[in-house]
Amino acid sequence: MSFRTQANAALRICYFNGIMPLWRSPLLIAAVFLTPFSFLFFLYVIAPRSLFPFGVVGGILFTALFTGNGMLNDCAYLRLERQLQQVFVASPVSPLAYLLGMALSELAFALPATVLFTSILVLVRPVSPLALAALLGVVLVTWLLATTLGFFISTLFAQLREIWPIGTLVFSLLSVLPPVFYPATEIPARWQWVALLAPSTYSAQLADRAVGLGGGISTGVAFVDSPLFAVGMLVAVTLLFGGAALFLARWREP
Amino acid sequence: MDALEAVGLSKTYARRGAPVRALDRVDLAIPKNALFAFLGRNGAGKTTFIKVAATLLLPTEGTVTLFGHDVVADPASVRPLMALVPQEGKLFFHLTPREHVYEYLRVRGVSKESATSRTDAILEAMGLLSHQNVIALRLSGGLQQRTLVAMVLATEAPFLFLDEPTLGMDPFARRQVWEVIRRAARRGSTVLLTTHYLDEAEQLSDELAVVEAGRILYRGTGEALKATVGREVRLQFSGGVRPEELEPFGRVFADRDRVVLLTARASVRELTELALSRGGEVTVGPVTLEEAFLDLVGRGIGEDES
Ligand SMILES: Nc1ncnc2c1ncn2[C@@H]1O[C@H](COP(=O)(O)OP(=O)(O)OP(=O)(O)O)[C@@H](O)[C@H]1O
Ligand SMILES: [Mg+2]
Repeated sequence: MSFRTQANAALRICYFNGIMPLWRSPLLIAAVFLTPFSFLFFLYVIAPRSLFPFGVVGGILFTALFTGNGMLNDCAYLRLERQLQQVFVASPVSPLAYLLGMALSELAFALPATVLFTSILVLVRPVSPLALAALLGVVLVTWLLATTLGFFISTLFAQLREIWPIGTLVFSLLSVLPPVFYPATEIPARWQWVALLAPSTYSAQLADRAVGLGGGISTGVAFVDSPLFAVGMLVAVTLLFGGAALFLARWREP
Repeated sequence: MDALEAVGLSKTYARRGAPVRALDRVDLAIPKNALFAFLGRNGAGKTTFIKVAATLLLPTEGTVTLFGHDVVADPASVRPLMALVPQEGKLFFHLTPREHVYEYLRVRGVSKESATSRTDAILEAMGLLSHQNVIALRLSGGLQQRTLVAMVLATEAPFLFLDEPTLGMDPFARRQVWEVIRRAARRGSTVLLTTHYLDEAEQLSDELAVVEAGRILYRGTGEALKATVGREVRLQFSGGVRPEELEPFGRVFADRDRVVLLTARASVRELTELALSRGGEVTVGPVTLEEAFLDLVGRGIGEDES
């Protein structure tokens, strides 16, 4: 199949695997909203008002990161419980098209929550169209790295029961501990370096910066603290996870 | 060139404790356009073979080629040529049968017009029209299975892997599926199917293989398999005789209230008269595939154990 038909295949998978179920059972949206919205609510109640915008951007990024958890679970479910991945692998649909179709489905699931958090953001502080575009870019890269990571991890398991806890663990570690919901300046100086181990830190650095929030990483090394470093790291990690999903993930059982 | 060719194919599952040798140096060639059936007991290795050939499982040793392409080295060339009904596969629960068939065809790159007309045709042929717009969540198990088979057969792929396609279907539905499978073969597809229904294998396949403990125990036509029993006639008794009495006359299969004997033509008159004189009933007929299968595999198991 040509590039065009493969791209078409990915969009169709997104249509019937992502958009159709949402359309038929809108309550599914609630599942995506619940956790980040609860975090934001807590933050609103207990933290100083100045931190609230960080929480809103955090909600946007949390939603983007948790597409990885959705990907991990949905891909494992279709492969192990439904045997449907096999129906797509034994077909002209390329692995890349399947992967992209599944990842786009997760994006569809994340869309309503992302729109809501972005609307809240626009309400609480002025954000220029350019800033929104930059934020969108960060969200898309984060989605890509999260879903490719989720897919890669899911292929390593042969039992659904083993997979369920893994996703929650990995993606909570990525979205709750690093400075996603709060500014990095809250982290003690010598722990700043640890935060740099999580790719979500870079997403948050860039997202906060895009909408004019301060509170970035401050290791004292100017190069490391610069947005350019964050962009470079984010791209590198995305390429790494993408490569793992495409080349190291198990499309066949061993 | 054959449609499928397996040479020295082995698969050992590395399982904690004892590894399982599911395929043991299998050589098998399936000619183009054949309707080929795998028979074999549970755990014989049928699904394992299909998974390897359908690029879903790595073999331990040996090769499989599909239309000349190696399935391990060159999956990108073989995948476009195939479609698969996995054993106990299930549907997307929020989609209808029509959407399953149509969307799957579109994902595979079939044009809108062709996908629509093929969807109409297969839904009709599989008796799914009256359920075509019901989401899978609300379909019975057999209807879901029919939908899965419809999806895959509508592809008209050159090679069709059907792992227990008629599982859980009623006798009417099974016959509809047979007809659609035969049509696929007439159109030029090669079909490899597994089934535990011996009548299905007989109705459907040109050739079959009996798989046992990862090896091909027999390969040939159903008729020839029946001939391996070496007895021409099947006598079925209800009452009148005890199984032990029949042992000297051939192969005996005793079920709850019937005894089946596969025997030589020469014994028919004597045994029939004996049973009738004692008030039993006798049916005389040809050997069935089921008994030939039981006989063949039964002997295999006997040898293993001795
Ligand atoms: N994923 C797996 N891991 C370990 N062992 C396996 C796995 N899949 C199958 N086996 C073993 O390999 C052997 C062959 O299994 P296979 O599924 O190929 O049998 P089958 O002929 O399709 O049986 P059935 O008629 O029950 O479908 C069995 O002993 C089975 O237990
Ligand atoms: Mg099987």
